[in-house]
Amino acid sequence: MKLILSDCPLSIQLPDQGDVKWIDLSRLNIANCVGCFGCWTKTPGRCVIRDDAVKVYPLIARSDTLLYISRIKYGGYDTVMKTMLERAIPVQQAFIRILAGETHHVQRSVVPKDATILAYGDTGEEERAIFRKLVARNAHNMNFKTYRIFFCREEEVNDFTGKELKAWNVC
Amino acid sequence: MERVLILNGSPRAPRSNSKRYGEIFAACYGENAEICPVTRGNHQELRDKLDGVSHLLFVFPLYADAIPVPLLDFLKFLEDHPPQKRPAVSVLINCGFLEPQQNEIALEMMRLFCRQNRYPFASSLSIGSGEAILNSPFRFLAARKIKRFARSIARGTPQTLSVTMPLTKKWFVAASTSYWVKYGARWGTTQAQMQTMEIQ
Ligand SMILES: Cc1cc2nc3c(=O)[nH]c(=O)nc-3n(C[C@H](O)[C@H](O)[C@H](O)COP(=O)(O)O)c2cc1C
Repeated sequence: MKLILSDCPLSIQLPDQGDVKWIDLSRLNIANCVGCFGCWTKTPGRCVIRDDAVKVYPLIARSDTLLYISRIKYGGYDTVMKTMLERAIPVQQAFIRILAGETHHVQRSVVPKDATILAYGDTGEEERAIFRKLVARNAHNMNFKTYRIFFCREEEVNDFTGKELKAWNVC
Repeated sequence: MERVLILNGSPRAPRSNSKRYGEIFAACYGENAEICPVTRGNHQELRDKLDGVSHLLFVFPLYADAIPVPLLDFLKFLEDHPPQKRPAVSVLINCGFLEPQQNEIALEMMRLFCRQNRYPFASSLSIGSGEAILNSPFRFLAARKIKRFARSIARGTPQTLSVTMPLTKKWFVAASTSYWVKYGARWGTTQAQMQTMEIQ
């Protein structure tokens, strides 16, 4: 399946097509991860906080194509998207393996992904450079097979998203 | 000696490794250090404390290769409500994986915050295997580095430091497996249950 996660409302029309899902995280109620490791040790694969995040991380795990749309802050994802990414750790096991010469967690049933990240806001080159490194590092922990990063201003988000969805043959 | 405010940015501050790292730091630094957790409700109170200190030390864990959300929110608050006088900033970060370099991006984010908001950046200490090192025979290595880190702040001679367990990656994988198996056993969860591929 294909998944779009945005941290803001979008004015896009998605056809009523089964394998594409768009979630506007700004409309959901998602608390921040409290680092209890319950999802690794107490109820493995299941977050103990039963808010809207629990509807989202199984979809992240199942999707083979991702579009993340997020404001960027200090070279990283801003609060809304970052909160969701932190709450997605039930998709990993506590156990560690060696991947690309570094230690990383073993994944549960997480489909390898082609990810596109649209990072928006008034960013300078310095901030973009940090963000590129972040996504490269995230790729190991989030099972990205490939990834592409685009930067744009806030007012360009809908245009960029529309173009990307055309490339997916979605609209 | 400069007054240091130590802010614990762990989302589980009262029970965190960051708390223990902060306490070791404070014990090395002496009575001019005060430790506070960052909570959703105390941003203004912490910002007011900044006016009375010349050094601010952030102690926090790596979350999804970056800064944990509660601390990110506090940084944004500081951006909107800057203190009268900006203290120098140092960072003590710890991550679960073996390699302290995995903290590098979060450190760059902290440096960027400091540049954008005109806080002088001083020292950093990056700890790998931070979930386990304090309960391992290598605790002394972490404690020794924290002492050096505290000295660099007390003397005003910035340093970039790191420490981890001196294990091969394979040994670390084996040691971390037994660490997590014991952790699960506390809840009556077996290794096989922890290895479930199911996501709910
Ligand atoms: C949501 C979440 C995300 C994490 N992400 C990472 C990571 O990207 N890399 C890493 O090495 N450790 C990661 N960790 C592990 C923590 O950094 C590690 O357990 C640390 O010791 C926690 O410190 P604290 O007790 O001070 O909060 C993560 C933990 C949680 C709960």
